Amino acid sequence: MYNTEVRGPLILGNKVLDQITRDITSPLYARPKFWWVVGLGISSIMMLLGFWAIFTTVSQGIGTWGVNNTVGWGWAIINFVWWIGIGHAGTAFSIFLLILRQEWRSSINRAAEAMTVVAVGCAAIFPALHMGRIWDAFYIFPYPNTRGPLWVNYNSPLFWDFIAISAYLLISASFWYLGMIPDFATIRDNTKSKIKKAVYGFFAMGWRGSIGEWKRYEGLSYILGGIAAVLVVSVHSIVSTDFAVAVEPGWHTTIFPPYFVVGAIFSGFAMVMTLMIILRKIYKLEDYVTNAHLDKVAKILIFISLIMGTAYSTEIFLAWYSGNEYEIFTFFHNRITGEFTVQFWCMFTFNALVPQLMWFRKIRSNMLIVFIISILINVGMWFERFNIVVTSLTKDYLPSAWATYSPTFVEIAMYLGTLGIFVFGVLLFFKYIPMIAISEVKAVNKYQVPSTQSSVKKGNGRR
Amino acid sequence: MEAQYIMGVFDEEQSMLSAFRRMKEEEVEIEDVFMPYPVHEVLENHGKKSKITIVGWFYGLFATLGVLAFLVYTAVIDWPLNYGGKPSNAFPSFLVVTIILTIFSITILSLFTFSWRANLWPSNQKPIFHERATDDKFVILVKKDKVDVLKASSLMKETGASEIIEK
Repeated sequence: MYNTEVRGPLILGNKVLDQITRDITSPLYARPKFWWVVGLGISSIMMLLGFWAIFTTVSQGIGTWGVNNTVGWGWAIINFVWWIGIGHAGTAFSIFLLILRQEWRSSINRAAEAMTVVAVGCAAIFPALHMGRIWDAFYIFPYPNTRGPLWVNYNSPLFWDFIAISAYLLISASFWYLGMIPDFATIRDNTKSKIKKAVYGFFAMGWRGSIGEWKRYEGLSYILGGIAAVLVVSVHSIVSTDFAVAVEPGWHTTIFPPYFVVGAIFSGFAMVMTLMIILRKIYKLEDYVTNAHLDKVAKILIFISLIMGTAYSTEIFLAWYSGNEYEIFTFFHNRITGEFTVQFWCMFTFNALVPQLMWFRKIRSNMLIVFIISILINVGMWFERFNIVVTSLTKDYLPSAWATYSPTFVEIAMYLGTLGIFVFGVLLFFKYIPMIAISEVKAVNKYQVPSTQSSVKKGNGRR
Repeated sequence: MEAQYIMGVFDEEQSMLSAFRRMKEEEVEIEDVFMPYPVHEVLENHGKKSKITIVGWFYGLFATLGVLAFLVYTAVIDWPLNYGGKPSNAFPSFLVVTIILTIFSITILSLFTFSWRANLWPSNQKPIFHERATDDKFVILVKKDKVDVLKASSLMKETGASEIIEK
């Protein structure tokens, strides 16, 4: 995690180590700001709305949703895939950039991982509820039971999905927590409040920064990093097989796994961008999350956007090239033109075209425009899932089975509820957890230009 | 209680490192070093290597075999079910579950191993030698009865320790 040379300064302003600690932990000690309390209030109201929707769904059943026999998957699955996609950011940031030894990740990974854990939590709500009888959800566990013993079907992507999401939640949460242990110890040793000392001391687990602790800490980081890199690719591949194994026009293609994984990382990076722009502005962390950091994220977004554009074009081309009339109908008469034109073109414009604006340095360095683009990407990604789920299902092979779909208030309320949970979780993260990995930032701090207290001054150079 | 340890507190990584090198050269036994971030020269040159990555690999091996055996037992031996005429020993589709559950097992097992070997668990209170070792100080700890006290402290002073504390 720390054993890498880097090119330029990653942290501006010639910080000494103690100042890094104070800069990053100061929001923990400050009184909550007015906007924070307001945000917490609004997100709580949204959460209550969501809980009402969940209660309605559980007590009255799936009939309260707009889904029907033809369109069996509605907003629940759209939102599930959307949240899981956003939840890929943390792992993409921490894990891929950790394995690739990209040190610039160190200012961003903590926030990205926090986002991941909350987003995956939000995502898990939907598949659980769309089962209908949530009290029978334990049927999906493979355990010896009185129904046979009837084991679960290991050939089913829905079962793969269940274990993949559980494993992903576990591993991203533990990776996040592992990274926080040294920082909790820092707070424990610095704070003057007795309550903070006790609480953060409890979670610091007795960390002292000794040789034995650091050695095993790094070992464990690499284990978790290595296996989570496999996991992050397989989770969304599995989500895509939920669709790809079904014999539906527009779903039954082999492009789905890479297309979904790239899309997920796309929306995740966009959400990271949104969050980091807000975070550095509000907490004045511009020295840590520098313009250079956001510039790199923007460049990655351009690249992924090109892949998305290629994927969309490939799908459309193959629908035509296959000569399959159902595929042609779905793509050309139900997406590009037809009932769902608006949704299709929103998806295409926001994901494949708008991010291309960031080729221009002027646009890339204007944080307001970048902020708007990052939000548009996530809107576009939502429309992508809408396209995939709804357009294919409404009109497949038999016109007699065609049906349309529109969400009911319960479904919308549930979506708003998860947005509330997300905002609530992120706000708590802002207030109670150091937003930037303190120990990692300290480790890359020595690569800055010669400063009063840096090692470079003594002529020893870079390590 | 009489002090058992001496610690040299360093303000900078480089001065701590030069003390560390000198003490290694002159065979002054170092009990431990506390650092706000890992300094690799210290991690690599002091004591044994951590075997947690190797152990993790074996967890993966056993988990793979265990999960595959479980899948074959439940879906093929114990209660084979006919899903649309497909063979019950559908090895390729077992692979997905195997990969995910292997990752799941490695995570849990290596977390517990880490907790046990690094001696870290919730609410654990270990003696804290220097409060700023998690903030901005580097601390070298030596045990009094294992080393020549005068030599150790003069070495640390020479290389730039900002203070020498007995504890």
